[in-house]
Amino acid sequence: MGELFRRIRYLMNWRRLDAELAEEMEFHREMAARTGCNNFGNTLRLREQAFEAWGWTWLDRLLQDLRYGVRMWARAPGFTLMALLVLAIGIGVNVSAFSFFDMVALKPLPVPEADRIVRLERRSPYNYTSEMAYPSFLFYREHAKTLSATMAILGVPPFQIDRDLQQTSASFVTANYFTELGTRAAYGRMFDPSIDDRADAPPAVVLSYGLWQRRFGGDPMLIGRVIDLNRKPATVVGITPFAFASLGGQHPDLWMPIAQQPYFIERSKVLQDWTNASVRMWGRLVPGISAKMTEQELRILTDELRRQHPDAVWDDEFIQRSPGGHLQVMQPEMYRVAAMVGVLTLLILTISCTNLGGLMMARAFIREHEIGIRVAIGAGRARIFRQLCTESLLLAAMGSLAGLALAWVAMRVLLTKADAPKWLSVSPDWRVMSFTVGMTAGATLLFGLAPALQFARHRQRKTIARQILVGTQIAASSVLLIVAALLLRATQHVLYTDPGFGYEQLVSIDPQLGHHDYTPEAARTYLDQMQSRLRSVPGVSSVSLVKLPPLGHVVSREDRQIDGRTVRLYPNWVAPDFFGTMGIPLRLGRTFYSGEKHAVIVSESFARQQWPGQNPLGKQLGDGASKDTVIGVAGDARINALSDDDATEQYWAAQQDDMRDMVLIVRSAGEPESLSPTVKTISQNLDASVFPEIRQLKLLYRDEVEQIELVATIVSLVGMVAVALSCVGIVGLVTFAVTQRTKEIAIRIALGAKRAAVLSTVLGQFCWPVAVGLTAGTALAAFGSKLLRVALYGVNNLDLASYVAGIAVLAILVSLSLLIPAARVLRLNLATILHYD
Amino acid sequence: MPMPNTSAPVSPAGTLPMLILRVLQSGELHGYAIAQRIHLLSSEALAVEEGLLYPTLQKMLVKGWVTANWGISETNRKVRLYRLTTSGRKQLAAEVSEYERLDSAIREILRAS
Repeated sequence: MGELFRRIRYLMNWRRLDAELAEEMEFHREMAARTGCNNFGNTLRLREQAFEAWGWTWLDRLLQDLRYGVRMWARAPGFTLMALLVLAIGIGVNVSAFSFFDMVALKPLPVPEADRIVRLERRSPYNYTSEMAYPSFLFYREHAKTLSATMAILGVPPFQIDRDLQQTSASFVTANYFTELGTRAAYGRMFDPSIDDRADAPPAVVLSYGLWQRRFGGDPMLIGRVIDLNRKPATVVGITPFAFASLGGQHPDLWMPIAQQPYFIERSKVLQDWTNASVRMWGRLVPGISAKMTEQELRILTDELRRQHPDAVWDDEFIQRSPGGHLQVMQPEMYRVAAMVGVLTLLILTISCTNLGGLMMARAFIREHEIGIRVAIGAGRARIFRQLCTESLLLAAMGSLAGLALAWVAMRVLLTKADAPKWLSVSPDWRVMSFTVGMTAGATLLFGLAPALQFARHRQRKTIARQILVGTQIAASSVLLIVAALLLRATQHVLYTDPGFGYEQLVSIDPQLGHHDYTPEAARTYLDQMQSRLRSVPGVSSVSLVKLPPLGHVVSREDRQIDGRTVRLYPNWVAPDFFGTMGIPLRLGRTFYSGEKHAVIVSESFARQQWPGQNPLGKQLGDGASKDTVIGVAGDARINALSDDDATEQYWAAQQDDMRDMVLIVRSAGEPESLSPTVKTISQNLDASVFPEIRQLKLLYRDEVEQIELVATIVSLVGMVAVALSCVGIVGLVTFAVTQRTKEIAIRIALGAKRAAVLSTVLGQFCWPVAVGLTAGTALAAFGSKLLRVALYGVNNLDLASYVAGIAVLAILVSLSLLIPAARVLRLNLATILHYD
Repeated sequence: MPMPNTSAPVSPAGTLPMLILRVLQSGELHGYAIAQRIHLLSSEALAVEEGLLYPTLQKMLVKGWVTANWGISETNRKVRLYRLTTSGRKQLAAEVSEYERLDSAIREILRAS
């Protein structure tokens, strides 16, 4: 370390030390002259050697090269600007994508020791749920030694503040939630485990900063005031800070202590119910305990829980732990999507770099002369190579800066548009920075290495290099265009095809009777009354019941293997008139009788996969004692998996025990909006303590569609940019190829060659690469788009129209960019060219 | 490049740092004095060429065997004086013992043949 320190100190004082050395040698020379020795070596060379001895030559050379590079780029501003633009796009797209990933999955929440926060979810090989029963949560909380704290969030339907017409989002949390996150109240106080953890504590509510501003005009006197929440008075104890960082991106406007849930939601037994999955669980690892150890301990606890409460635990259940201290908890599927996006953005970088590589090669042709001179006056091949690499690196660094700026703008727009949590900032952190540095190095290698090597070896095989460049660009562009076409098709599909059920006129009404301690009998009575009253409302054409409503909060899914293929099965429990109300056609058989047992209705695609070419009616489903007979086949209706083409459905008749969980589905004849007040009145008359959540499927559906539309727009835009880049690049390469051979072509024509034949020789070298590129790109797209299936909303990932469209667009653009510059051959003025020399 | 002005042979390869360290053992010296001292101590048998002396001194500065400070020469001029450091002394001892080992080995061979 001492030596490095001395070296650095030397560098800092280099000017002074160098002057001193010169002076010292001058003294030596004078002294030597006195003794009659007039011969002193080259002092300049000696000083250089001294500099070398300190090991800083590389820095000097680098600075030299950089200065030279800057001069070179400044001399060709047009080229430099073009190159920078190309690079900025290529790198900017990547940095934007990474910044987003970083924001969602890597950046730690601004809470103390975010890296020790874990999200805990129930999993088994066949089952998965993000929520667990509150008693199970308490069991883990009490027994887990590897968790220093556990937090739970209970999501509930929105609440009504005082007499507001609009409802306000709300969550119940364990009283330690804010203390564990180190949240400081903007006003008042957050929950305190010593006060708010008891059911008999005075009812307290914490408001979000946004709600406080919007609804209460930021009035600081609000603290201590009592407001009504679903007609239950509660004291406002505090306001969350403006930039509040919550777990799992949960930002409701009302926060209440979970211990007081029975007060706010009357007669609710959720907190005692072992089978009602209701809370999301988070934990904080004890310092020094690895996540693996926690998983092992929780596994043991799960087994213990199974012994005590067999009905609360699945077969082979375990608690899955994922890092929780980020904006989002990443599920394995999300990593897959992230990887796919990564591949697409890297394709763009590839296009930019190959493009730039082409430009560089054209420039290399011009610079041959200059380099030749430098070699002639003694520059070594290694030095030239290093010089060219430095130039490329310089360009890449500038491009990266521009890319970083581009990413900053993109993130800024995204954050403002998406109403993101306020603690998120757009400024790149060290991860984004190192990613950008890596990108810079990668880009330099991609676009700079080949030309530099060529020069240094002084062997130029331009045609092959050019062909590779064209081929790569075409391949990458075709992947991007095909994917863009697929996503566009998916958007079209969602927009213009039937999701299998008529969503426009539907309203779902979720009274959450299970949360109000209704017995199944009472629930049945409530639902029956509700249904009959709704039916008598003018404008209601049909009413039915379903356990898992379309586009609902809860999704249940089973993965099943049929003939080696995974089929995603979405089970549901419905009332007999469900199919009619939803507008799902019955293809075969009949619907249920009310409460019918051992009968199942399957969706068309399930029947097709399970019993191909056979009549599914009367087939048996299930194993062991609970065999069910197929009594009907319904049309495909992806009511809870709009985007998933592989989804299949199974329906059972809702039984008495399901009644507490049932949701009403209403089909209105007119505008579904107008139903809300009527529904509210009816529910208030039936039971004033129940506040059903009323949702219009049309709006939920629109939200879904907007998301896919946004993604498709972005991908198509990026795809078009990539294709534009490729085309410009190809135009450049062809122009260059033609220019390079102008004289040869002119002579050929003068000697009588047909112009068309000449044209074909010029273009001949590009035909193969284009063909190979298109084929490779198509294959890559076909292979890669499998990952995309879940996001394609029922469009086949090998959808012919998309492939044809993508390839056709590319082919047309490429042909144009080949032909237009090449056509110059046809207009050559032979006399001028041949006269020129 | 100018040729060395003296017919005296240069020191054996790699021994110059050792010689410099040795002459600095008795106190700090400037560059010219180091060359002179080596020349004299070797009964004018060895000459240190400045083209080797200064780069060697720089390398020794890098290694931290010597430090350089400004002082006044006997002719009353500002000069840079080189001084041995503790690690320089250690290096000297190490190099001397290594040289002696090598020297005796070479002598063995010469005597045998």
